[in-house]
Amino acid sequence: MSATGFGWLVLAFPIAGMLVCALGYRKLPGHSAGWIGSLAILGSFAASIGMLFDLLDHPEEERELVDAAFTYFETAGVNVDLSILVDPLSVFMCLVVSGVSFLIHVYSVAYMDGDEGFARYFAYLNFFVFSMLLLILAANFVVLLVGWAFVGAASYLLISFWYRRTTATRAGIKAFVINVIGDIGLVIGAFLLFDATGALDYEGIFAEVNNAFSTNDGTLVAACLMILVGAFAKSAQLPLHTWLPDAMEGPTPVSSLIHAATMVTAGVYLIARTHPLFELAPLAADISAVIGTATLVFAATVAVVATDLKRVIAYSTMSQIGYMILGVSVAAYGAGLFHLMTHAFFKALLFMGAGSVIAAMAGNQSLDRMGGFRKSMPFTFVTFTVGALALAGFPLFSGFFSKDEILAFTLHRGGGFVVLAVVGYLASGLTAFYAFRMVFRVFFRPPVSEARELEHGHLAHADPQNPATGEPEDTGVGFPGPEHHIAERSWPMKAAMGPLALLALVGGFVAVPGLTDTLEHFLEPTFAESRFAESVPSHGAEYAGLGVGALVAIGGIALAFFVYMSRRALRLELRERFTTVHTFLFRKWYFDEIYNATVVRPMTAFGVFGRNVIEADFVQNTIVGGTVGIVRAGSSMARAIQSGYLRGYAALLLVGMTGLGLYFLITAAG
Amino acid sequence: MGAFHLSILVFLPLAAGVVGAFVPERVSRWLVTAATVAVLVIVVAMIADFDKESGGLHYVTDDGWISELGIRYSLGVDGLNLFLLFLTAVAWVFAAVWSSFRETERIRLYFFHLALAETAVLGAFTAQDLALFVIFFDLMLVPFYFLIGGWGEEEISVAATTKFVIYTLVGSLLMLAGAVALGALSAGEGQSISFSLAELQKRSLPEGTQNWIFLLFAAAFLVKAPLFPLHGWVPDTYRASSIPVLVLVSAVLSKVGVYGFLRVVVPILPDAAHTFQTLIIVIAVVSIIYGSVLAFSQVDARMVVAYSSIAQLGFIVLGIFALDPKGAQGAVMQMVTHGLVIVPLFFIIAALTVRAGGSGSLERMGGIAFGAPVLATLFLVITLATLAIPGSPNFVGEFLILFGVFEDKLVFGLVASAGVALAAVYMIRVFQRSMHNRVAEGVQPREAGRLEIGVIAPVAAVIVALGVYPQLLLDRSEEATVSKVREAGRLADASGDAAASEQVPAAPTPVPGTPQQVPPGAGAPQVPPGAGAPQQVPPGAGAPQVPPGAGAPEQVPPGAGAPQEAPPGVAPEQVAPGGGAPQEVQP
Repeated sequence: MSATGFGWLVLAFPIAGMLVCALGYRKLPGHSAGWIGSLAILGSFAASIGMLFDLLDHPEEERELVDAAFTYFETAGVNVDLSILVDPLSVFMCLVVSGVSFLIHVYSVAYMDGDEGFARYFAYLNFFVFSMLLLILAANFVVLLVGWAFVGAASYLLISFWYRRTTATRAGIKAFVINVIGDIGLVIGAFLLFDATGALDYEGIFAEVNNAFSTNDGTLVAACLMILVGAFAKSAQLPLHTWLPDAMEGPTPVSSLIHAATMVTAGVYLIARTHPLFELAPLAADISAVIGTATLVFAATVAVVATDLKRVIAYSTMSQIGYMILGVSVAAYGAGLFHLMTHAFFKALLFMGAGSVIAAMAGNQSLDRMGGFRKSMPFTFVTFTVGALALAGFPLFSGFFSKDEILAFTLHRGGGFVVLAVVGYLASGLTAFYAFRMVFRVFFRPPVSEARELEHGHLAHADPQNPATGEPEDTGVGFPGPEHHIAERSWPMKAAMGPLALLALVGGFVAVPGLTDTLEHFLEPTFAESRFAESVPSHGAEYAGLGVGALVAIGGIALAFFVYMSRRALRLELRERFTTVHTFLFRKWYFDEIYNATVVRPMTAFGVFGRNVIEADFVQNTIVGGTVGIVRAGSSMARAIQSGYLRGYAALLLVGMTGLGLYFLITAAG
Repeated sequence: MGAFHLSILVFLPLAAGVVGAFVPERVSRWLVTAATVAVLVIVVAMIADFDKESGGLHYVTDDGWISELGIRYSLGVDGLNLFLLFLTAVAWVFAAVWSSFRETERIRLYFFHLALAETAVLGAFTAQDLALFVIFFDLMLVPFYFLIGGWGEEEISVAATTKFVIYTLVGSLLMLAGAVALGALSAGEGQSISFSLAELQKRSLPEGTQNWIFLLFAAAFLVKAPLFPLHGWVPDTYRASSIPVLVLVSAVLSKVGVYGFLRVVVPILPDAAHTFQTLIIVIAVVSIIYGSVLAFSQVDARMVVAYSSIAQLGFIVLGIFALDPKGAQGAVMQMVTHGLVIVPLFFIIAALTVRAGGSGSLERMGGIAFGAPVLATLFLVITLATLAIPGSPNFVGEFLILFGVFEDKLVFGLVASAGVALAAVYMIRVFQRSMHNRVAEGVQPREAGRLEIGVIAPVAAVIVALGVYPQLLLDRSEEATVSKVREAGRLADASGDAAASEQVPAAPTPVPGTPQQVPPGAGAPQVPPGAGAPQQVPPGAGAPQVPPGAGAPEQVPPGAGAPQEAPPGVAPEQVAPGGGAPQEVQP
């Protein structure tokens, strides 16, 4: 089978899985929906491997295969095929997405056990994976948009999966609308490109782009910025990030899959995919790099003070994606995508561990309530710590290689980029700090009552409450209230976390500078045309960067140890001394408040104004009243000869007018 | 199907309705329902059989009718109306089926009106003679007047029908005047009067004459659509109508007006279409934003859909007046897909209302999804299609419309695209408030019944299918649609190039004043420069010019005509404060 044949299979498996789970929601017994969903994704993963091997059989310069199923639409000069593009980049992304998705499906089989919406969950999850893979395999902007929007819809459905929580439904609508704003950005960007190149498919656009635009051409920069709107909305970059922390209302495996490992990295993929545009519009690329850096700092500072375990990891995700955006914006494509992969491993793992801990806390997500789970949950402890080490960039763990490679490339670009790189190093110190803030606060220190109980074999139970508001949950739709599942007791959860921990540990070795450049080499054909292809930092510089990164990471971890383990009082002292700063960070830099004041409230006010003033006074009184008044006036004149009944009059008027018109026409013609 | 007589299609429902009036009620309803199904079958066969290679009209019927007036009984199908016939057929089948299973008073009369209405709409869509179009257009009014007034919510239906009738009647009269004038004035020396659309397109009118005839038609079609600020009849009509009638009004009736723009106005009055392009685009964009904002501030589910329709129709008009092949094709797509989503949407709202104890208020709903997963899933699909998520056929329509508008009117296109985000807000809000959150008091979350699934699921399937393969429609409609905007588009391109080369600065215009302060006559200078004869625009002045050569000025809709023209004539200026400034019209 050809690579594109495998590509279609990659898409076919999850959509088939979705249909089976959705249509059989009543009849599928036990866990079967979960296993069917998992198998479907395993099928996709297998097909992705098929794609990989077939692609490797092609000579390097022929590793770009496009296949169209049929004409999606072709009218008025706009020609769009339903087509997929199989190249090293899309194969790489398919492998990461389907591989991680498969493990998360398996984890979910245990985690979602007993949920009333079990089959619905897997139908949604399969739909998500299908959409994500469509987004990756798309060969033109329209198919990309379809995948892009479907991913947003799936994300909406899964965020508000427990739809009787008002916090969840509110979070869902927020995520959806911001995602739609991103879609609109992409539509506008696609138009600007179409207008100049006459094409909507990548091949056609990239072939024309050098003829159509000069460097930093205004239209091209505008198009790139519009693409960035799409990318930033999906990847939760400033200022379109506010939906991501709220998205933690979804089930934890969803946070793991969609809001950490896969969907939110779509923006990174998109920039890498459209890199020929950004290289011709360096202004847009630089803006992107600055925003990525701003986001990575912003999110890291908030993660330092957030107290909700899942939200700490969510901010960490934003921050790490900031690194990736920085990477692909400074033309370090291999490094950015490398970090995308390692991040998928360790962040999925961290969320899985968090899910296990939250289950042990009977649904409570507050770091302030946790502590001492080291003895009672050894498996979760070890795997979570591996994830945290990888996140912190501890030497030889996967994140160590990938993050530092981005920073080494940024440094190598020189000029203003040096500032970005320095900021990146500082923030990676913060990263190590908040990563181990979690580890120390959850697993160390004296065990809380839930942890002590668990040591004696009793899993905590509490009446389910909304972790955000504390209000009692409506368990009717299957909020995981009565039943909690921890990794220590559920083999599918272990089976998912084990491999991820291993990958988080060794995943970095696929791209050790100078030793194993496997990944970079594999991706090379996609980025061969890049004008920065030859401009890479020397191995010496890279190793120097790794050295600095190692020091920063160890420093951050040591600081966390100092604050949370050896000098416990220090934390409160600091908080009191810097109340303003703490509040500022804790309120997430007031982004939500600003948006409420500048967008949401004016819109609502305009709606009320429209309803009460424009509709009532203008449309109804002035226009309707005026028209009706005129007709009434005419009617009262005629009232002597007829009933005066308005509708009768109206009918008569119609007949009379038609008759008159015809009569005069006849005389005119005659 | 080559020899198929189109009159059979058009008059089949009416025949069933007439026969149904004389048979037992039980038989009557099924007779009419069977006729609507037969119409659907015929239309589907036409779609399958459609030969796009041969171009032009198909299944043409063209007979002399009132030869003294040059009025011909002329029907035909082309790519432009093919799928609108499909939409009509679909809407009527499900309205009839729904009504057949429900308790309805005065069944024979109800189904007679239903049948008459379908004949009138099919006639309006297939008419190839302007006079015939006007006759069918006016004929639609009669059955809908009775259906809204006679079978709706008692307490508001009188006021509602009054508004509906007066609005559409005034619109119809304006159009009648316009049609008569068009036929009479376009007949040159030695030519006989003709109302044939094809013939009218060949004849040319001076630009000044085109302008005021355009305004007459535009007023009628904008009322029918409706667009801001001519939507005053909408709220009461939507509140008062019964669900099947509402389906027909919202899904199909609204399309006849915008179809008129594409079939009649733009091809026959290309200069005027070009002259007023910016004005109509402003109205469309204001409608999009205004309708969307009002849609998300409504508490009644029906009213959300009502205002969302204003926004969606705004997109369609926007596409048509992009005067660009992409925009026009998008508009046709959007006409069909908006109609297709409206049909199930109202049936879903009916289902929700039943479950919420008879209330359509979103505040009384909530939490229905858990008890009704099938209904929730169908609603989800329809919701996503309505907000035009990529992958839905509605997206293809909006995508092409936006591409068409961006081409020459980038700024308007950008404002309009904000409407896409707002659509996400109001549609997801309805879905969420009804299906999700806590179960509201008095709500019974029951699964969809057989009838509910029976009328919702098939349309949802059609929508999904069209989303997978939109080319089915676009391919067939391309030739006919593109030809309609070619001439006006050429004018627009030419003037755009001229403006670009001359770099004429936009004429300075006064700051927006309150609408009441602007005298109707003062509107003329505000329309784009080049609007031939401004003095002809004010209704009073326009009237005497209707019948040239024919002599008698009193031939114009006498007396009542002039004052009635006033409100729509005023309308364009009144747009100003509501949504931006038509004064910003570019050269």
